Amino acid sequence: MTQNIIIQDQAFQLHPLGGVFWVEKSLLLISDVHLGKVSHFRKFGAAIPQKAVHKNYMLLDQIVSELQPFQICFLGDLFHSSLNKEWELFENWVARTPAEIILVTGNHDIISPLKFEQLNIAIFPELLIDDFLLTHHPETRVAKFTFCGHIHPAVKLRGLGRQSLRLPCFFKTKNQMILPAFGEFTGTHTLKPTKKDEVFAIVEDTVVKV
Amino acid sequence: MGKHGLLNAPTGSGKTYALWFPIVLNHIKNNPDYKIKHKKGLKAIWITPLRALSQEIKQSAERITEDLETQMTVGIRTGDTSTKERAKQRTTMPDLLITTPESLQLLLSSKGYAKIFKDCSAIVVDEWHELLGTKRGIQMELGLSRLKTVCKNLRIWGISATIGNLEQAREVLLGPTSPALANSVLVKAKLNKKITVKSIIPKQMETFPWRGHLGLHLLDEVVPIIRNSKTTLLFTNTRSQCEIWFQKILEKYPEFAGEMAMHHGSINKDTRLWVEQAIRNESLKAVVCTSSLDLGVDFAPVETVVQIGGPKGVARFLQRAGRSGHRPGKESVIYFLPTHAMELIEASAMQKAVLNSAVEDRIPYLNSFDVLIQYLNTLAVSDGFFPEKIYPEIKQTFCYQAITEEQWQWLLNFLVMGSQSLKSYDEYKKVEVEEDGRFKVNSRTVAMRHRFQIGTIVGDASLSVRYQKGGYIGTIEESFISKLTSGDVFTFAGRNLEFIRIKGMSAQVRNSSKRSNKIPSWMGGRLSFSAKMSELLREELYTAELPLSKQGPEIKALAPMFAKQRQESIVPLPHQFLIETFKSNDGYHHIFYPFEGRAIHEGMSSLLAYRISLLTPITCSLAFNDYGFELLSDKEINIQDILDNNLFTANYMLSDLQKSLNSNEMARRKFRDIAVISGMVFTGYPEKGVKMKHLQSSSQLLFDVFKDFEDDNLLYQQAFTETFEHQLEEGRLRLALERIAQQDMVWKKCSQATPFSFPIITDRLREKLSNEKLADRIKRMTAKLTR
Repeated sequence: MTQNIIIQDQAFQLHPLGGVFWVEKSLLLISDVHLGKVSHFRKFGAAIPQKAVHKNYMLLDQIVSELQPFQICFLGDLFHSSLNKEWELFENWVARTPAEIILVTGNHDIISPLKFEQLNIAIFPELLIDDFLLTHHPETRVAKFTFCGHIHPAVKLRGLGRQSLRLPCFFKTKNQMILPAFGEFTGTHTLKPTKKDEVFAIVEDTVVKV
Repeated sequence: MGKHGLLNAPTGSGKTYALWFPIVLNHIKNNPDYKIKHKKGLKAIWITPLRALSQEIKQSAERITEDLETQMTVGIRTGDTSTKERAKQRTTMPDLLITTPESLQLLLSSKGYAKIFKDCSAIVVDEWHELLGTKRGIQMELGLSRLKTVCKNLRIWGISATIGNLEQAREVLLGPTSPALANSVLVKAKLNKKITVKSIIPKQMETFPWRGHLGLHLLDEVVPIIRNSKTTLLFTNTRSQCEIWFQKILEKYPEFAGEMAMHHGSINKDTRLWVEQAIRNESLKAVVCTSSLDLGVDFAPVETVVQIGGPKGVARFLQRAGRSGHRPGKESVIYFLPTHAMELIEASAMQKAVLNSAVEDRIPYLNSFDVLIQYLNTLAVSDGFFPEKIYPEIKQTFCYQAITEEQWQWLLNFLVMGSQSLKSYDEYKKVEVEEDGRFKVNSRTVAMRHRFQIGTIVGDASLSVRYQKGGYIGTIEESFISKLTSGDVFTFAGRNLEFIRIKGMSAQVRNSSKRSNKIPSWMGGRLSFSAKMSELLREELYTAELPLSKQGPEIKALAPMFAKQRQESIVPLPHQFLIETFKSNDGYHHIFYPFEGRAIHEGMSSLLAYRISLLTPITCSLAFNDYGFELLSDKEINIQDILDNNLFTANYMLSDLQKSLNSNEMARRKFRDIAVISGMVFTGYPEKGVKMKHLQSSSQLLFDVFKDFEDDNLLYQQAFTETFEHQLEEGRLRLALERIAQQDMVWKKCSQATPFSFPIITDRLREKLSNEKLADRIKRMTAKLTR
């Protein structure tokens, strides 16, 4: 179940898998997938289950089929590290995905742009669409609203009986929204919201405003 | 003596000589021309669990070799040994080598190790009771299994303090099915020492606290004890408690300055050695210390020992008591200082325990695959190994006596492929199988990383504390330092220090005249009562309802507390099981009192919470101490339901426990160590270091991935086995439930906390458990979200 919000008269859907769908542009924003992380670890002798490799592609397939975007824009850290054999799986995924794919690069994206060009994926350090700025690292610019990633935000909730719970979230300040990390095996960083912030936590298959 | 064996002798009874002597004599016998001709090379190994003890062992060994006019050399090889010294040893090993279990493994990871050990004819494992029941012990078992083959004619001896399962200790050391065990003896040193235990009973019981762990209320009572004896050791349970006591005594009694010192594991080595020497010279009146002074080192001049807070184990208490009156025939005196009211019961129980010498067992591990994987990697790094040769060796060890062919094959697959089947896109690389069938690591990087990571102690990352100019003060846990900001003042090693910055792996500080109450806390201070101890404790508690004449002084002194307890509740009798409930701002408190020790309560609370959740959706947080446990919830639990449905039954215990643990975190925490030991998570290069926070999160992520994709992985399953067998002590838990089944349930509804419940409900370290829909919980929490 998605959560619908309006930012500067534009409609956005927050998807529980961690994507933001810009309805007017039919553009799906996804951040910090860290593809190839499992293979990277395995290459250096950490025996993480092989099967985990496929999970991210399944999740990508799922969000694409649900939202049917015209374009998909990755907000950085698409690949975790240097080229490894998981690239073949990624090529495969690009070939079967009926959408145009764009990458805004992040600090982890060190794979040669040529490799992406071969797959017809355009690469940008940042993107400005109307009054919206798409970047990897959080930043704010005058009169622009920023979508970004990098942080892997999570929020800590507390209840009676000394309960507490940590959940990945979409973290919205006045002029910026930080997307959660998409997919498996990524980890989170807990942020403390102030009164002005809006937090949308991912609770299993729904997005809840807290 | 051609035999193997185990020597049971207390610390400091001349046991070092007892075993060095025969080793040297044996050499003399086999080399009649020993005075003129000397063949170089390793002849004997002495394993010590604490590298701090190696210097002293070396001195006594040298005394023997010199007195007998041999030309034998003695050397040390531990983590402290310089690279230069190690390189020198590589070409010529000393005749007698003193080392640790980890350094022995490192020797096995060097090329051509078999040649080094070829003429080694004896190995002594000192303080074996300290290693037994830990993964370091398994490391030792594996090391010995290899040496038995590599050394032509090896005799194995262990030295152990008194523990409940000495016979088993010998079996583990030598291997249950080995010829070595058949040809071995258990030697017990007969030293009947008189131990007197005295409790320090507060004069004003009414103002004595119901909870707490510092015990500073009784500081004034300790001072006359210190004054009246030559040297006093004050044992504390944690390093932070040690720091606090040292500070507070000096604050109140400045005249002790210069006559008092502190000793704990985080203080730099030179200071520690200085303190130890000062005790021997009788130049100190008192030393505040932790378990760092439990082992080794003989201190004849110590007259009195004070134990601050419950020692949680009889063996440990005896060991500490034995620190005083160290001369043969002298009486040992130990004072027990309770830190809160309930601990007086413990003090009384401890006296009985000492009388009956009711010492605990040390339970050895079984099938710890993480340690085996590390060991196989070690062999692969050095000369490589042939599985068909190594399998019979490890099969002879206690730990892996029940390993199956399938499990062995699984481990080999895991080493080579990182999984059980080969996939085309996979680039997993660690151990390779060569054409002749040898398992070998060929990558230098893999080999180097592995050598850095040999070891089985996964502690919290620590930083060294230094002055800006470089003076080294000690080590502190990263978790404490990371909370400080520049300019903060904290107390450490008895000094007030101002934190400047973190540089590399060290925290830079300068002296400060400002006072501070920030004292670093070190994790790992939470020990649980043994089965024996909890039984004695219960028996002691039950005397509270006996006539005064049958009560010990401690129980008598507790009369005001018992009276308060009886106001709204009861002091249970042997046939009663007490349950208390009340409501506070925190929610609904439900407290249960099995008096079985912390570890058992941890499992029992989790089990009960799970069973309650089957009746009704619920979320609760769990807290436990040695006396009982609490379920705290935002909704009231109907106790009558618990009783009517017989939720304390021992039936289906294991499967219920397993299910309750699914939503619980215990196995996850065990998995962190397993992931590190088996090499799945890299702890980083020395000096550079991976921050513990990262290590924690990567092993947590890893745990989830295994849960989702490979839950038949032996290492993942091991996390659960360890949780059940070693942490929750499944067997003991079952006995406890069976005992409770015989008792009458007494449910008391109270208006507020009782003296019994107070220490439990104020515990902030909690487990959580829930089977409610996340979304439902969130709705309720959102209303309370702290912004």
